[in-house]
Amino acid sequence: MHDHQQCRAFFEKLSEYIDHELDQETCKLIEKHLRHCQPCQACLATLQQTVALCREMRSTEAASAVPEEFSKRLRAMIRQIV
Amino acid sequence: MTVTRRANPKKIKDKDSDLIRAINSGPFDRFPELVKRYEQKLYNFSFRMCRDAADAEDAVQETFLNVFRYLKDFRYETKFKNWLYRVAASTCIKKRRKSKFAPERELSLDEILPKDKAEVPDHVPEWALMPLDKLLNDELLDQISEAIYELPEKYRLVIVLRDIEGFSTAETAQILNLSDTNVKVRLHRARLFLREKLKTYFTDE
Repeated sequence: MHDHQQCRAFFEKLSEYIDHELDQETCKLIEKHLRHCQPCQACLATLQQTVALCREMRSTEAASAVPEEFSKRLRAMIRQIV
Repeated sequence: MTVTRRANPKKIKDKDSDLIRAINSGPFDRFPELVKRYEQKLYNFSFRMCRDAADAEDAVQETFLNVFRYLKDFRYETKFKNWLYRVAASTCIKKRRKSKFAPERELSLDEILPKDKAEVPDHVPEWALMPLDKLLNDELLDQISEAIYELPEKYRLVIVLRDIEGFSTAETAQILNLSDTNVKVRLHRARLFLREKLKTYFTDE
């Protein structure tokens, strides 16, 4: 963490910034700061890419398909209780 | 499950409401439809939380048993999916307390922040600029899964619900019975932890 106090304050808000959860005024302050602070630009870009990669995990669901044997057992159990 | 009741709570209608009403007006012969609708999603969620396939299967089974047991108490004051994930999260938490993986702990700042000033990048690294389809491969997906598993449970729950399952901050707070602020703090820390893991992975590559 670079030690500029303003950088640190913005760093704490970067996830909310990415998620569009900040008010307009705070967003403008962050964007103004980002224009001249390369370490913060790198922080934001790496965090944005981390979030984007995480969200991509959603579409990899087929890779962990429910095992067929388990699915059969589950349905048998459900048939018993209903 | 403790629920705080408001005077005139608004009823929520979503894609599951009709099915839940049909099941609750009995007989329960449409319950298997609900199982079919959520089996895959709950298995993925449970697998991400429990890591172990057998534990994930147990968690899914227990979740559906609990849903069957408590569905009559569902008040349509929240989306059914949120209520379902609340049951699933609670089941996984109980399961994991008996499991051998990742004991509960706080994330320390050492794990989520660069170690010293020298590590602060003065430019955006290449991996952060690459399009996802060029960047993603099975090895990287494994690395991300592995890093998610390394997160202490309370952070993992939040990042899985928010960034993987796609729930909003408010919905995640409702599912986990946390404040919005708490969800945001945990999510930010979890993301920073993953970012550090990714930085190491791309540096070592």
